Amino acid sequence: MNQLRILLSRCGAFFRGQRLDEDLDEELRTHIDFAVEENLKRGMSPEVARTTALREFGGVTQTKEAYRMQRGLPLVETLLRDVRYALRQLRKSPGFAVTVLLTLVLGAGAVTAVFSVVDGVLLKPFAFRDPGQVVVWRESIREIEHETPLLPDNYRHYLNLKARAHSIQDAAILQTSSFSVSDGVDHPQLADGLAVSPNFFSLLGVTPFLGRAFAPEEAQRGRDKEVILTWGAWQRLFHGSPTVLGATLRVGGEPQTVVGVLPKWFRFPVMSVMAGEATSGSTERYEIFKPLVPMPDELTANDAEFNYVVVARLQPGVSIRQAQSELDGIEKATAAADGLAIHLGVVVEPFAQEITGEIGRPLWLLFAAVLGVLLMACVNLANLQIARGVAREHETALRSALGAGRARLLQGVLVENLILGAAGGLGAIGFAFLAEKLLTLSAANLPRLNEVHLSIPMLCFALGLSLATSLGFGMVPALRSLRVMPQSALQSSSTRLSGNRQAARSRRLLVAVEIACSVTLLIVTALISRSFSHLLTQDRHFSAQQVVLANADLSASKYTNGGAIPDDPGVDRASLARDAMIDRALDRLRALPGVQSAAVTSVMPLTGDMSVDGVVRLDHPVPQGQVPMANRRFTSPGYFDAMGISLLAGRDFDQRDRENPRVVILSDATAKAAFPGENPLGHTIRHWGRIYTVVGIAADARINDLKRDAPVFYLPYWDYPPPSPVFLVRSSQSIQSLGPEMRRILWSVDPEISIPTVVSMDAQVAESIATERFQTVILSCFGGAALLIAVLGIYGVLAYSVSLRTQEFGIRMALGSNRARLARLVLLDASSPMLGGMVLGLLGAAVVARWIRSLLYETSAADPWAIGLSLAVLLLAALLASLVPVRNATSIDPMRALRTE
Amino acid sequence: MGGDKSDVLQGTLDLMVLKTLEAMGPLHGYGIARRIEQVSGNVLSLNQGTIYPALLRLEQRGWVKSEWGASETNRRAKFYSLSLIGRKQIEEETENWERVAATMSRFLAPSN
Repeated sequence: MNQLRILLSRCGAFFRGQRLDEDLDEELRTHIDFAVEENLKRGMSPEVARTTALREFGGVTQTKEAYRMQRGLPLVETLLRDVRYALRQLRKSPGFAVTVLLTLVLGAGAVTAVFSVVDGVLLKPFAFRDPGQVVVWRESIREIEHETPLLPDNYRHYLNLKARAHSIQDAAILQTSSFSVSDGVDHPQLADGLAVSPNFFSLLGVTPFLGRAFAPEEAQRGRDKEVILTWGAWQRLFHGSPTVLGATLRVGGEPQTVVGVLPKWFRFPVMSVMAGEATSGSTERYEIFKPLVPMPDELTANDAEFNYVVVARLQPGVSIRQAQSELDGIEKATAAADGLAIHLGVVVEPFAQEITGEIGRPLWLLFAAVLGVLLMACVNLANLQIARGVAREHETALRSALGAGRARLLQGVLVENLILGAAGGLGAIGFAFLAEKLLTLSAANLPRLNEVHLSIPMLCFALGLSLATSLGFGMVPALRSLRVMPQSALQSSSTRLSGNRQAARSRRLLVAVEIACSVTLLIVTALISRSFSHLLTQDRHFSAQQVVLANADLSASKYTNGGAIPDDPGVDRASLARDAMIDRALDRLRALPGVQSAAVTSVMPLTGDMSVDGVVRLDHPVPQGQVPMANRRFTSPGYFDAMGISLLAGRDFDQRDRENPRVVILSDATAKAAFPGENPLGHTIRHWGRIYTVVGIAADARINDLKRDAPVFYLPYWDYPPPSPVFLVRSSQSIQSLGPEMRRILWSVDPEISIPTVVSMDAQVAESIATERFQTVILSCFGGAALLIAVLGIYGVLAYSVSLRTQEFGIRMALGSNRARLARLVLLDASSPMLGGMVLGLLGAAVVARWIRSLLYETSAADPWAIGLSLAVLLLAALLASLVPVRNATSIDPMRALRTE
Repeated sequence: MGGDKSDVLQGTLDLMVLKTLEAMGPLHGYGIARRIEQVSGNVLSLNQGTIYPALLRLEQRGWVKSEWGASETNRRAKFYSLSLIGRKQIEEETENWERVAATMSRFLAPSN
């Protein structure tokens, strides 16, 4: 009660400080007057009366101070005074303040933005129960390990392993799918989803928000007419209607019943059936889940296809290594017992590893780079602070001579750095938002990118980082400068100069660190940029200009479920329907004005190797494992024309092949691998149990991946009309109008197909190297920032040392030294940190380059161009940075220099 | 200050001020200071200034109130007087003091 009353009174007084001061002044004046009056009465002279009164009173100023301490909120008052003082000081040196603020804003902001991406993509746990215990397993076959180290899973092997392994709690099998979904009004849309075994949701620990999960019996043929929607799909397709359960959704043209809606928080990242392929895309991409129904032969056959992915949950306390060895053992034992000719194995990987795969390294590289930039920025801060501390030595000395305690002085510096840190932190939050937008825009193909966002903890991180940086790198130099002895500091400048040799040394050391960082960063940037420019400028052996791609999805039932036609058991109805659709579409596309060629292929270009199969010769058998592998592509006549791939020998497909589609065109590399030293034209290969005659050789082209030529064998689309045809049109018309035209034409052929992708070939190329571009652009930004910081650092040190040596230079000049010699003196000052920093930086680059070697494409980690250029750029920048200090040094007027101080 | 005078013990000044106001009624700062000096027989070394923070402290606790008025010589001065709480507080403070003093004297008494 008492305490509260006192506090209230103090607070009241705090805000009425000035009036109360006047009151106190008057009260004390009256007091003295009373005393003087009394003393006079006692017969003292007026002068003596006054001194006596004052002596008996004690110090008036001390009383006032004690009174004020008792009255208001002294802590707050001194703090406010310090704040005001700090603000005044900062306003007096705007260059310093702005540099520090910018450094903090850019440094902390950039680190926060990059960290938020690293966190969202690599660190954040997946949105299901205990994701650390979830693993993915895949199979391997020793005989083809050199080609494809890891295979998707075989259904029968999955059942066997799941039944016998003790190291796992449960295992679910799944297959990625696209579903053509229609609400019956609009053109159907393609929705991605998964076909899953019924235990999938319980394994992940997810209970549907509405309805139920799949029942075990729903994984049987004919019982699988149910779907489960994600929250997002429920909102999108049913507008969040609460009566969604039991509603019908046409999936692939078939009516299906919605039996469940998943909770809002549930997300499952995009998975790749093939191992080691980077997955990309939103974790909200999978919208529809269906029961996985195995083909009847898959339950029994050991050599059925490897088509699935198995996700398993480990038993508590079981390590991945243990699970791996148990599963691998079971697999090998079973294979041996079954007398299989191939050697099977199992490889278990953490789920996170499976999703982020190869993307981890580039992301950590970026994070390391941004930390390097931050470190350099901090070094600059420390440098600035040291210089500032020295410049303020006089003032500090004066204050301490006037009685300011160390704590009081320290508090002042603390407040100044807190102000800078807090302001910088707020700026950093703003900058982080901006930078994060840019990052996510330029890195659209990272996995889980939609989960990247600047959360509150992230923003606190930015603020904390800025505060910690400004305090850490501001206070330490400040502590140093507070050790000043007032006496020596107040004496003439000669002692100051000698005392500052040490400060100059530490500043030079800091600059050396800075240069080392920037050399490393510049070299890494140069390596990555060179690798990227190789990627861009290498001959792709195909031409992307003026080509637009449109992918149509023919998964509706009329295109997939057709019985065999009685007259011709080799052809089924669905295949004919696809054939007819593609034929008609090609006819109409070719009729478009300005079209030079129109064609179809079975796989989207630049999406990696897919449909890889062996090219088997009957006349020249080779042992298993040595059969040349190649990508199977079904194409139409005109494909090579549209893609700009040249035919080296033979002919393209033409109408002749419609009746007899058992012909094949080989890419050059495939031809050489399968027919070494022979002319393949006229020879035959076997595929799917049929015999195909080689009619042409096409040039190698990088149609799957810009980094290397793809081995391909092309078959006419009439042989197997692709269920997901990609139409290519090369036209003299503008690309912008061509896309919508193609969409219109495809829908005019069949309004019930979905067209998930329409994209120009150029955009597709750009998309395929988006990660590399992202990496290059961001690293270039960091490299540029590093260079700038290094220039600022060098400039700062030189300019400062010149200003300290003004007098010395003046004397030298007066004694007859010429300008060139002075300039050399200044440059000499910079040379030792330059050289030391460069050597350190080269060492650093050697270490980092080893680590990033796998990211480099046709670029050696010791690329002389990259290293030479980086060093040259840095030297040039350093020279530039020393230009102004050198000019200042050489333009010193000896007379004026000697007169100062 | 002379070595023959003792410093005012921390906390005792408050009680002296309260007792002075109880005895003399409303009084200005100078009057309080002079009165304390006289009562102590000029034994205490009192920097007269120190009573002002003490007065403020008492006022903050609500034991003393102050208002501007005119002195007998017609000078404008701030007069302090006891509040109701202050009057009650004197008893408690006196008891406190006596307890401390008694304890002290027990320490100081010749040991037996």
